[in-house]
Amino acid sequence: MNDAPEGRVFDLGYRRYDGAREGRARARQALFVNGIRTCFGLGRGAWAKLLPILFFVSVMTPAAFFSVMGGLLGDVLVDIVDLPGHEDYYGIVSPILFIFAAIIAPELLCPDRRERVIDLYLVRPMTATDYVLGRWSAFFLVSVAFIYSGQLLLLAGLTLGAEEPLEYLRENWLDIPRFLAAGLAIAVITTTIPLAAASLTTRRAYASAGVIGLFVLSSVVSGMVANEGQFGEIARWARLIDIGGIQTEISDMIFGEYESAENLPRALMIAWYTLIGGGAAYALWWRYRSLAR
Amino acid sequence: MPPLLEARNLTKRYSGAIALDGVSVEVERGITGLLGPNGAGKSTAIKLFLGLLTPTEGAALVMGESPSENVEIRAHLGYMPEHDCIPSNMTATEFLAHMAQISGLPPSAARTRAADTLRHVGLDEERYRSIGEYSTGMIQRVKLAQALAHDPSVVFLDEPTAGLDPVGREEMLALIRRTGREFGISIVLSTHLMGDVETTCDRIIVLEDGRVSESGEVAGFTAESETIFIDVDIGVDELIEELTSRGLSASVDGVSVAVRDVGDAEYDHIRDALAEVGARLRRLGPRRRRLTEIFR
Repeated sequence: MNDAPEGRVFDLGYRRYDGAREGRARARQALFVNGIRTCFGLGRGAWAKLLPILFFVSVMTPAAFFSVMGGLLGDVLVDIVDLPGHEDYYGIVSPILFIFAAIIAPELLCPDRRERVIDLYLVRPMTATDYVLGRWSAFFLVSVAFIYSGQLLLLAGLTLGAEEPLEYLRENWLDIPRFLAAGLAIAVITTTIPLAAASLTTRRAYASAGVIGLFVLSSVVSGMVANEGQFGEIARWARLIDIGGIQTEISDMIFGEYESAENLPRALMIAWYTLIGGGAAYALWWRYRSLAR
Repeated sequence: MPPLLEARNLTKRYSGAIALDGVSVEVERGITGLLGPNGAGKSTAIKLFLGLLTPTEGAALVMGESPSENVEIRAHLGYMPEHDCIPSNMTATEFLAHMAQISGLPPSAARTRAADTLRHVGLDEERYRSIGEYSTGMIQRVKLAQALAHDPSVVFLDEPTAGLDPVGREEMLALIRRTGREFGISIVLSTHLMGDVETTCDRIIVLEDGRVSESGEVAGFTAESETIFIDVDIGVDELIEELTSRGLSASVDGVSVAVRDVGDAEYDHIRDALAEVGARLRRLGPRRRRLTEIFR
């Protein structure tokens, strides 16, 4: 006699879902989380993960280097060179961040339109504005995380390397809100311009090349005009052409490093920054708004 | 209780062209076929009910709500487009769980629904493979599954058998019938293939030039007519001549002889005419009409 327990397989058939439906809030959250996963290449191949890691290492390396310079060799070098600090960090990593954004940000928008997954998003409890905000905020958070990581490493290095860490913090505490504020100002531009460019094409490569081209070309033209003595007053205004430079000018203002006498008036630079950021944001929103009407 | 779907004087104009012109129709629960030639307004009607487009005039209502004004109602809608819409670099289970969350389901419920739905469409074994490796038939199943993952009240299927071979087409139609009849999910099936509608739908709505030209139960359109079809091996011409001489309206219809307006008395004439000409009878009787005969 077989005493083995009898097993039965039941086909439960199709079961209706009668659980919670969390609507638009859940949709926004799911898109946001998916955006962050996409930025880090999670759920995809090794190559997709390699690029974010390389960029992360690239923005951390200067911070680590400055930490070592300032923390370990600060006493030796202080009389020889002006050691870089929090105020200099953004100026150095800004091009890396822009290239990172140019390559990674289109990944959030272009495939959805090329493979027409966007049509499936927009028939669910989600508006075009929700979609744009979800993607924008995901990349914004990733940008801010990259930017702050370097600054926090630098802060840790400089503080722990100081002879009196608490004394160092007491004297330099103002750097913390400054680099936090400047980081946000930089992340707004590095997020919005690449995403606006990506909204115009279904090809990631075109979007990346367009953003990098815009960054390099505007920087080169601005530099050429600014350095030519014959342009006189126009040379000052050429700073406005430099799309990648505007954010570092704002960063300089926050760190109190901006000299209005040599540069354009502060109010003008802030207005220009707002116009560039706001214009790119509007273009991005308008592009997606036109998909559902 | 408001109807499942309702179009009230639904009008959509594009620059210089009218896609839908004052359509008023109600769609009940069950499987409804949306028929019409290219440019008749089928896709526009679907997009209006999904909230992808806003009406120029009138309203497209889902359970009494406008999906373009109240996006939350879209949580009860599913959509399977005709075109490709599936990312190639994800697994089916990951994609479905994501889309279920986008429809408002919590993550754990979304994962369970993804697994269940993939089992129902026959992709249980393949659910962890990248969609990029799927065949056309499997991708069509994923497209259907993503439309069902959040357990909608009504799902819009736009040409769901497009690109499928005959076996794949039959399997997809069987799946649609099962979805509509066993799962209790109402379906609006947009297609130009009359055969698909005839074997799958309970009702049809026919659009022509942006207006409803016909609507009703499929059974009503394909009901047995008062025309008798007679299949004989030889003597077709003689039989027609004999039937005509007896006052019946007879003509060749394909391989059959069709006799119209047949009542009880006419059956005796048909029997006698067959005997008279000595035709070898193979089949005699009324036949259900095909939709293709009605909407050519």
